[in-house]
Amino acid sequence: MSSDPDKMMSKADKMTKLTLTRWSADWRGATELYEQAANGFRASNKYEKAKVALEKASKGQEMQASPWDAAKHMESAAALAQKLSIWNEVADFYRKASELYVECGRAQPASDALGKAARALEDVKPDDAIQLYTDACEILEEDGRDQMAFDLYRACANVYIKLEKFTDAATFFLRLGVAADKCDATNSQCKAYLSAIILYLYAHDLQQAEKCYNDCSQIDAFLKSDQSRSASRLLTAYNEGDIEEIKKVASSSTVSNLDHMIIKLARKLPTGDVTTIQMNTNDDLDEDDLT
Amino acid sequence: MGVVDLITRVDSICKKYEKYDIDKQREANVSGDDAFSRLYSAVESALETVLQKTEDLSSETNKAKAVAMNAEIRRTKARLLEGIPKLQRLALKKVKGLSKEELDVRNDLVLSLSDKIEAIPETSAPVVGGWEASTSYSNIRFDTNVSNHRIGSEYFEPTRESDQFKQEYEMKRIKQACQDQGLDYIAEGLDTLKNMAQDINEELDRQEPLMDEIDTKIDKAATDLKSTNVRLKDTVTKLRSSRNFCIDIILLCILLGIAAFIYK
Repeated sequence: MSSDPDKMMSKADKMTKLTLTRWSADWRGATELYEQAANGFRASNKYEKAKVALEKASKGQEMQASPWDAAKHMESAAALAQKLSIWNEVADFYRKASELYVECGRAQPASDALGKAARALEDVKPDDAIQLYTDACEILEEDGRDQMAFDLYRACANVYIKLEKFTDAATFFLRLGVAADKCDATNSQCKAYLSAIILYLYAHDLQQAEKCYNDCSQIDAFLKSDQSRSASRLLTAYNEGDIEEIKKVASSSTVSNLDHMIIKLARKLPTGDVTTIQMNTNDDLDEDDLT
Repeated sequence: MGVVDLITRVDSICKKYEKYDIDKQREANVSGDDAFSRLYSAVESALETVLQKTEDLSSETNKAKAVAMNAEIRRTKARLLEGIPKLQRLALKKVKGLSKEELDVRNDLVLSLSDKIEAIPETSAPVVGGWEASTSYSNIRFDTNVSNHRIGSEYFEPTRESDQFKQEYEMKRIKQACQDQGLDYIAEGLDTLKNMAQDINEELDRQEPLMDEIDTKIDKAATDLKSTNVRLKDTVTKLRSSRNFCIDIILLCILLGIAAFIYK
């Protein structure tokens, strides 16, 4: 075996190509060569070639019906692609790896792979990142491991907040609440609901926030929690246009235990003019009186 | 006992038993028809009683009684002062059988009476109290709205005890404020603790099934390892059993013998 990775690569390629002399590809030998070549390339910082070698190694493992190793190689390839900033390849490789993990029946690594992909793409392609996060959460939920999904939901909501799509972020927090409900994680659930309400208020949507609060109050665990008390204080402060009270609630310890993005938004409350919100609600009452 | 003392004593006794003095009563009754004179005499007698009470007050040692008497004095004073304008009206009324000068005199009388009433001291003189200031229950507030005039610094003459009370009250108030602050800090810390504890709880819940998985996997690995070890031991003992060892030695000797034979 020559130590030159290029030579190894060419040799391995020859082994896999079907010719007249070769009737069946020798995947085992080829895979070994590919792996060694990839190591050699990585040592010499030729990441592009290493990536190609890993891809082929993964294919070889797949052919040998060992999806675990195949997935592992795919992940390494994806990491290299990330280093090279080839973003669509990153997404593709991680997806492939995730599928292979699912083939093995291992949901956790699958969703981990998608999570890694999403994190890599957060800044560059946020929509893809969101899609990846959603898929990762679905995989976990199918497997019944909802608790692992919390972090993913939170990360996804953070991406939405960065994109300033607050209602979408709130939706994700509510999904977090559902997942938390399934595994009786009441603290996370209540925090998720409070975060959703704060997001609605930040988006200047008092009606939605109140509706959300009413919906969440149907849930016993939330109703009895500190978070629901803070939420009701916040909503009454908004209804009365009491800015001092809003600021007091926003700096209370209950809010300070949420995600740091939410804390930042809460400190910026109230957005816009609270009195206009108040006026709107008063107008509604007047209309009712007339009828 | 000197003459002066005697005279004063006689005066006070006469004063005390004035009501039994028939002559004086007759004099007073002469002006019984006159409404003004009646009212005037009534007010005057009330004034006298009040003044008597103030004198008693100064000699009163029981604080509670002193307070009660003070209150009584104030009440009477207020009533008298209310009666003054009525008296004034009556004074201006013309009564038959009364000269003009007497009318003026009446007015002056009324004014002097009102002055006398207002001059009644309302507070007790500083009493040399013999008892310790008790531990005050801070936050007791007094509604000083007995009379509708002269509420203010004149109304309250600070005594040594009341000063002490005030100081203690202030100290306790400051201490309570500090305590409140401290309690606030503690509350914040407890909130953080509670949140952290709940998060730890959830994390432990999350990791429990993982630990179970690890447990089963490790059990499996351990049993595999055990069986492998046993097999290895068997193989090794078989390899190094004494029978094979003896056979090895004998064969080695034979080999050496053959070699020696060849070289000889």
